[in-house]
Amino acid sequence: MRWLDSLAESSTRAVARHTSRRGFLGSLGALLLGGAGVLPLLPVARGAQPPGPGAGASPGAAKPDNSQDPTSCEYWRHCAIDGYLCGCCGGSQNTCPPGTEQSAVTWVGTCHNPADGRDYVVSYNDCCGKSTCGRCLCNRNERDTPLYAPFESNDYNWCSGSSKANIPYHCSTARIVAVAK
Amino acid sequence: MIKATAWLRALLAALALTQGGAQAAPPPLPADPQGVVASLPATSPHWVWVNDFVFPHMPDGQALLVDGDSGRFLGMLSTGFGFSRVVLAKDGKMIFSPETYFSRGTRGTRTDVVTMYDPAHLAPVGEIVIPAKRSSNMPMMGDVELTDDGRFLLIYNFTPAQSVTVVDASSHKLVGEIETAGCALVYPTGARSFFSICADGSLLNVHLDGGGHATSQDRTGHLFDVAKDPVTEKGVRVGDTWLFVSYGGVMYPIQVAPDGGLTPGAKWPLLSAAEQAQQWRPGGLQQLAAHAGLNRLYSIMHRGGPQTHKDPGKEVWVYDLANHARIQRMAMKNDSGAIQVTHDSKPLLFSAFIESTTLDVYDATSGQYLRSVEHVGTTPTILVTP
Repeated sequence: MRWLDSLAESSTRAVARHTSRRGFLGSLGALLLGGAGVLPLLPVARGAQPPGPGAGASPGAAKPDNSQDPTSCEYWRHCAIDGYLCGCCGGSQNTCPPGTEQSAVTWVGTCHNPADGRDYVVSYNDCCGKSTCGRCLCNRNERDTPLYAPFESNDYNWCSGSSKANIPYHCSTARIVAVAK
Repeated sequence: MIKATAWLRALLAALALTQGGAQAAPPPLPADPQGVVASLPATSPHWVWVNDFVFPHMPDGQALLVDGDSGRFLGMLSTGFGFSRVVLAKDGKMIFSPETYFSRGTRGTRTDVVTMYDPAHLAPVGEIVIPAKRSSNMPMMGDVELTDDGRFLLIYNFTPAQSVTVVDASSHKLVGEIETAGCALVYPTGARSFFSICADGSLLNVHLDGGGHATSQDRTGHLFDVAKDPVTEKGVRVGDTWLFVSYGGVMYPIQVAPDGGLTPGAKWPLLSAAEQAQQWRPGGLQQLAAHAGLNRLYSIMHRGGPQTHKDPGKEVWVYDLANHARIQRMAMKNDSGAIQVTHDSKPLLFSAFIESTTLDVYDATSGQYLRSVEHVGTTPTILVTP
């Protein structure tokens, strides 16, 4: 389905902004399965705590910089990811774990790399074909759209559609596609 | 020595008492029959199906049935990979469940079916093979719906090409597929019509003939501003009106005209200016519920920023649909991510949250908390009532 590839690519370049999917479940796996990564902020915590000045910040608390750690939810490429990090599942930020297949169609985000000061278009290709990995679930759910706007929606399972990857979701990569313009 | 004697005396007395009691004991329990399987009585309007796609083990979807009056867990269905929800036949005589299976569990040939279950025995009684295209997504009511007369089942497909599979729920046969390019999910509007929501904020209005084939597909104008403040896909219906709320809490009614046309009603806010300033907003996976008899709308509410449109809430706000006035703020016992009401004259309101396995039950008229049912499923998603 070549048009899908071109659609995804054009979407990648045109959208060029933070998206993610399965955002609702971002914290779930970590909660249930003991994800090894940094726990994302729970929806429940966000919902229960009224916003206010400095909400979300931790005054006085030194926060470690995990922006260059591919197994951390705070890794710079993960700005729009939502899923199990393949780097914790036998793969890496751009490699699927052994025995899985990478989905051809995906959703994208644009992430800022503090190390070189550039913004990059990042493609969150899923790795498919086994049950959920269960490690390092990461949810950074920004600018998510409803299901009727698919390529910015975090609620689809992208291990769908193509003949090779029409199989269960396992984990997500975060591939650099290009420098964002 | 004195103490030991007293102890011995007490022991002998106890032995005597035991022997004496044996003579008055009831007859032994009879042997239990073998192979008996429970069945269910007629469906109560206060039952609820808790749908669960079991995120940590997605091939093992489940639908769990609970009696809201007693809190009793009545039984469940096993519903395969990427499960969305069950659909109850209008006459109550069948449960339809769109399901996906792989021939080797998590791999192999994919087969999609509508499995039909007997409501009295919760056992499969047949299946209809459908195109292996049904969408795998966070469960939504609009993934699958029946036409108003219950004749046709409409199932949303995403490959990511978009279409709707039509199944004849009467003859139990596949009818075919309707292309809905650029538009998602299904919202029935009559016996032979439904619409889908399109990425540009318009609606695709589809009419069917008597056989379930599309006779017309028309796009409305842009009714929603997807870029600025999109409505969620989690709409609810009261009579001839579909109600969609935006991320920011503005209600967009869609009126279904007698001729099947779709027109936008007057928008109205769920939030006052002060409440907006306090960042109250609707949230959750199944954030709205409505009761036609009471003419009330229920909305899960929380305080949070623009990215929190799926967050759960600790309050449910209740609105009178006649004048759009908020008539109650229900304090929820637990975080609520999904709500549903029963459709009878003394309705219950059910509340669940995907990160919890507790189902809470409230009086939907008074808002009073009634009971909780623990350990329902693994990752409960959306709730369906008869």
